[in-house]
Amino acid sequence: MGQVMRRYGTAAGMAAIVVFFAVALPDTFLTLRNWLNISQQISMLAVVAVTMTVVMVMGDFDLSVGSMASLAGVVAAVAFTHGWPVWAGVGAALAVGLLGGLFNGLLVSVVGILPFVATLATLTMYSGFAFLMSGGKTIFGRDIPAAFSGFARGGITLGATDGRPLVLPWLTLLALGVTAAIWLVLEQTAFGRRLYGIGGNAVAARLAGVKVMRLRLLAFGFTGVGAATAGLMYAARVASANPTQGSGLMLTAIAAVFLGMTMSAFGQPRVLATLAGVVVLGVMDNGLTQLHVDSYVRDVVVGAIIVLAVSISAFGRRATGG
Amino acid sequence: MAQLRGAVQVVPPPSSAPRQFAMPDLILSDIVKSYGAATALDGASLHLRGGEVHALMGENGAGKSTLIRILAGLERPDAGRIEIFGRPLGPGGAQAAGLRFLHQELQVVAGLSVAENMHLARPYPRRLGFVDWGALNRAAATALTRLGLERIAPATPMGALGPGDQMLVRIAATLIADGGAAPWAYVMDEPTAALTGAEAERLFAVIDSLRAGGAGILYVSHRMDEVMRLADRVTVLRDGRSVSSRAIGQTDQARIIHDMTGREIATLYPDRAMPGGTTRLALESVVAGPLSGVSLEVAAGEVVGLAGLAGTGRGALLGAVMGAVPRQGSVRVDGQLLRADTAAAWAAGLAWIPRERRAEGIMPGLALRETVALPHLARMTRAGLVSRAAERATVARLAGDVRLKAQGPDQPCAELSGGNQQKVLFARALAGDLKVLVLDEPTRGVDVAARFDIYALVRGLSAQGVAVLMSSSDLPELIGLSHRIAVLGRGRVAEVLPAEGLDEAGLLARCYAAMEG
Repeated sequence: MGQVMRRYGTAAGMAAIVVFFAVALPDTFLTLRNWLNISQQISMLAVVAVTMTVVMVMGDFDLSVGSMASLAGVVAAVAFTHGWPVWAGVGAALAVGLLGGLFNGLLVSVVGILPFVATLATLTMYSGFAFLMSGGKTIFGRDIPAAFSGFARGGITLGATDGRPLVLPWLTLLALGVTAAIWLVLEQTAFGRRLYGIGGNAVAARLAGVKVMRLRLLAFGFTGVGAATAGLMYAARVASANPTQGSGLMLTAIAAVFLGMTMSAFGQPRVLATLAGVVVLGVMDNGLTQLHVDSYVRDVVVGAIIVLAVSISAFGRRATGG
Repeated sequence: MAQLRGAVQVVPPPSSAPRQFAMPDLILSDIVKSYGAATALDGASLHLRGGEVHALMGENGAGKSTLIRILAGLERPDAGRIEIFGRPLGPGGAQAAGLRFLHQELQVVAGLSVAENMHLARPYPRRLGFVDWGALNRAAATALTRLGLERIAPATPMGALGPGDQMLVRIAATLIADGGAAPWAYVMDEPTAALTGAEAERLFAVIDSLRAGGAGILYVSHRMDEVMRLADRVTVLRDGRSVSSRAIGQTDQARIIHDMTGREIATLYPDRAMPGGTTRLALESVVAGPLSGVSLEVAAGEVVGLAGLAGTGRGALLGAVMGAVPRQGSVRVDGQLLRADTAAAWAAGLAWIPRERRAEGIMPGLALRETVALPHLARMTRAGLVSRAAERATVARLAGDVRLKAQGPDQPCAELSGGNQQKVLFARALAGDLKVLVLDEPTRGVDVAARFDIYALVRGLSAQGVAVLMSSSDLPELIGLSHRIAVLGRGRVAEVLPAEGLDEAGLLARCYAAMEG
């Protein structure tokens, strides 16, 4: 019984949420247009949460992803104002993400600082860099090339309803691509399997010949690049960059991974479970917004759902003695 | 009665108290317990009397732990009776009825003093609402003295004591009254698992004095020599049933093993194969931990045992060979110099079975095929992707060799018994191109049948030309398996003895001699 609750409780909860909104919003919720819309809304969160999963597999986490996302957006926008082509600006932002991620990894694995402390410090640092580079202002308007922001508005046209085109957004496809790539890395490569080994028992993994220090460092690189990618997606979508626009991502991403962890037998983070967590949070947000629920109330409801899911999982674990 | 201030009293030794009742005793009869489809206990019975040490033996999975959990009130039996003094024991009544439980994994607060640890589960003595430190320490000291532990000062931080003394402090703590019934029975689950020989001796002395005072002790252990020495009576569980209960004088080691396994084990240690001759593993001037320069060679097919008193660096030497502990000096495998890191060691054909299975070997959530594959992933990938088929094939190939009992390659290690987890680690060691096997206490916490499987396995590997370097605090095992035994002392190898013809007492004498230099 406990086992069943633990494995399928979250899935059942997700289904209940979808059913609830389908009943409450009969005309709009279960339409393809709405789901394409949700997919675009959650694409950035998905990229951050899925790459966050890489470090959480080892039992670590990265608090700096939000400020890294902001910094990456600002780096690209500043590059554009200096007349850099789109590929160069994007490349610079991703390079900053990789370096920032590897720096987190260096602090955690080589220096040996707790991930909470190390990434709390770099959260502040990266945020400071973003403010310094942007002068604390939003960069927008003609400085942002149309090719950059156009990407976030475009997509593959699937058809039309009510005279309006139905578009599968590029952002959704990008998020799916990142998810597929990280799934492949974590589930199918030796690298990913070693990360699960470290998460299961870091001491035992080292004694089994796993290069724990090097792998931890590299894993943080993934998270850094993921955060920068999400920052670029966000900047493209709003055609502007400011030093705080990514700040909401970190807590929501960690929440999505935790929601996903409630679905696996031994509480391990799994990419597809994380994606399910992201979808739950996205569906909640979309449905509650359509029901005109106040955004502050929305925060309370979303927080309560997370507490509920994790509590049920904890009870299930106790009941099965696992 | 020593009357102290506050609520704290020290219970007088049972022997000095006039016996108002007949000898206290505890009867468990026909206990049945299942978890879903799996039957853990299927008619287990036991009769513990005051003034005896009663050994409970059985293979891993025979139901010992379940029986103890039921006795402690942590689980409810599906059927059966538990009686103390002829009265039924209600759920959770074990503590009140005078039973005390000591588990192999100690729960201590390292930062608090010995006296505070002894009072953790009971009210601190107070004066004017504040802790009365004097009374607290005096109560602790009185209890410690009762067990002859005057050398442990109550104000010492718990973390400064070794695991043996921590265990003794825990026993002493049960002598401090807490308002419930005075303790008369102790349940000790593998109490010596984490203790050195000398620490175990002190524990045995305390057990003797508790028994002399009229207490009953239910003693769970895998160590046959301890049981033969300590116990007055042995009850054996097999497949959840009690198959025999005999006075120690009416049984012997072979009979107990027969009862536990249901089969005869003709000889515990299979014959040694002759070593091949060429040097596989060569250590030169290795410096690590307490070792100041160890040189040692192990030939192909040879088993070299490491002996030495606690703290002589047996574990450090094994760790240094594997590159898990920083080292100086050189380690060569088949003449090739080895880098000091664990990945290089596995790649060169070394494999090790760590001492602490749970802390250093097993990742609970990983499937056993994933655990087996972990050090060998580089060889199990196709086009960068891990081949699950290769992993399953490896497990299928090795499961028979190590006599692994599991549902399948995808079963999580957490669901396996200790002996089977150890076999998973052996399978992991065999999965590569094994040249040198490093064993640190290979049969710790492993039941007799699994132990025999492991001995046979080590012998078989030795016959195939694998060099084995092992450390074990079980001296008969060390002598029985090794070709040669290196005695460590004062930071180096004091002497290397042929194992043939060596006996336990003789080896122990050489270990002490090695400390004198």
